[in-house]
Amino acid sequence: MEMIERYIYAVTKRLPEAQRDDVAEELRGLIEDMLDERRQNRHVTEADVEDVLLGLGHPRNLARKYRGNNKYLIGPELYDLYILVLKIGLISVVIGFSAVFVIQVILNPVNILDYFINYIVSYFTTIIPMVIGWTTFGFAFVEYFSAGKLEKINIDKEWKPSDLAPIPDQGRQIKRSETIIGITFYVLIIMFLAFSSDYFGIWIFQNGDFSGVVPFLNQEIYSAILLLVLIVFGFGIVKECLKFKYGKWTVSLVVITSIVNLISITLILFMITSTQFWNPDFMSELVQHGIVNEGSEGYEVVRQIWEQMTLWILVLLIIGLVWDIIAGFIKVRKAKLKTKKHSKILG
Amino acid sequence: MSDAHEHIDKLMQELRRGTITIGALSQLYEPQYGYSLVTTLKEKGIQVEPGTLYPLLRRLEKQGLLDSKWDTNESRPRKYYLLSDTGKEVLDLLRVEWQSIVTSMNNVMNGRGESDGDD
Repeated sequence: MEMIERYIYAVTKRLPEAQRDDVAEELRGLIEDMLDERRQNRHVTEADVEDVLLGLGHPRNLARKYRGNNKYLIGPELYDLYILVLKIGLISVVIGFSAVFVIQVILNPVNILDYFINYIVSYFTTIIPMVIGWTTFGFAFVEYFSAGKLEKINIDKEWKPSDLAPIPDQGRQIKRSETIIGITFYVLIIMFLAFSSDYFGIWIFQNGDFSGVVPFLNQEIYSAILLLVLIVFGFGIVKECLKFKYGKWTVSLVVITSIVNLISITLILFMITSTQFWNPDFMSELVQHGIVNEGSEGYEVVRQIWEQMTLWILVLLIIGLVWDIIAGFIKVRKAKLKTKKHSKILG
Repeated sequence: MSDAHEHIDKLMQELRRGTITIGALSQLYEPQYGYSLVTTLKEKGIQVEPGTLYPLLRRLEKQGLLDSKWDTNESRPRKYYLLSDTGKEVLDLLRVEWQSIVTSMNNVMNGRGESDGDD
């Protein structure tokens, strides 16, 4: 009865390892019982076996019934988030690749056709498969290992109509597009710093041709810097995600984003005040490229700007942080005033 | 007409999905193996494919409503299923629920004949 074993194998190979032996044994018993019933007192024929197996149906369907109903890669709980991440990823990568293309053309206009072909080809070889592939893989991974737990999280939460969030008014509401643009922006900066740090500096053109870059950052410890940069912008993405989750300005959101900002500014501080952060040969390289002449007035101006850059960046960052907090609280306040007015009308 | 049949098929499938579970549980105060349960249910008028019942038993066991035990003393080894303590409790509650569904569904379904008796 080789066919029976083949059928059992066809079913069990589609099941998790741990269940296979048990299911196989049970199926074998079932098929023999069904054969017993058919044959009465005669010998079992090949045709009997075929009939019984046909009755049980396609092994794939039987296996599916054993596995339960999980017929999707990414379930309804994760689907919205998946689409959102996919959108952000695609937009960022498309903008990034387009920017690289534009830069390449500026640097070397003669090769525009080559660059263009590369650009188009990269859509099919890199952009689409990488972004969609990895995003899908990540989400499918989470879905697979959370098997059923996600559903519980959503259902088990007790819910009261009074929990319903008030409809956010225009001033207080955080637009989805705003956070998506924010995240896209951070992803782009990370991509730029990670892959084309060489171009982060002053571009030198000689006779209209690109001849090199005087980098702002110290190239020797760049990988260490990059790690911190990634963390800082990673915090930026976290902040945007929080804004997305809250959907409106609240006191707690303002406090949380302020804390996140504070942490990233501290990290930046730590980074740029360490003596090795900036390119130590910046001035001498500028002189080498003939941008400024040593001892000239221009040299002094550039040197002063360069040396005070750390200070100015610091000042700007702190102003930015304070502004972020104030703006947040103003938005919260405005919204509260409006809500009060509204409830007066209702009352 | 075939259109109506299609609808009926779908609706019956949905209806059976729940009742088969209850039906299977109701027969498992005494241990039974899968195929004997198919036969018992058939004798009582409930048609169920082994291909549906076997996975169902396994799922109920996983959920803790059934206990199972392999019996290797017979000519061929068989897996016997039996209501667990939780299963018994659940079945008692289910019985009450079922009665109330039957009563209210009867009310609803017989309504048509009463309201326009001419039909």
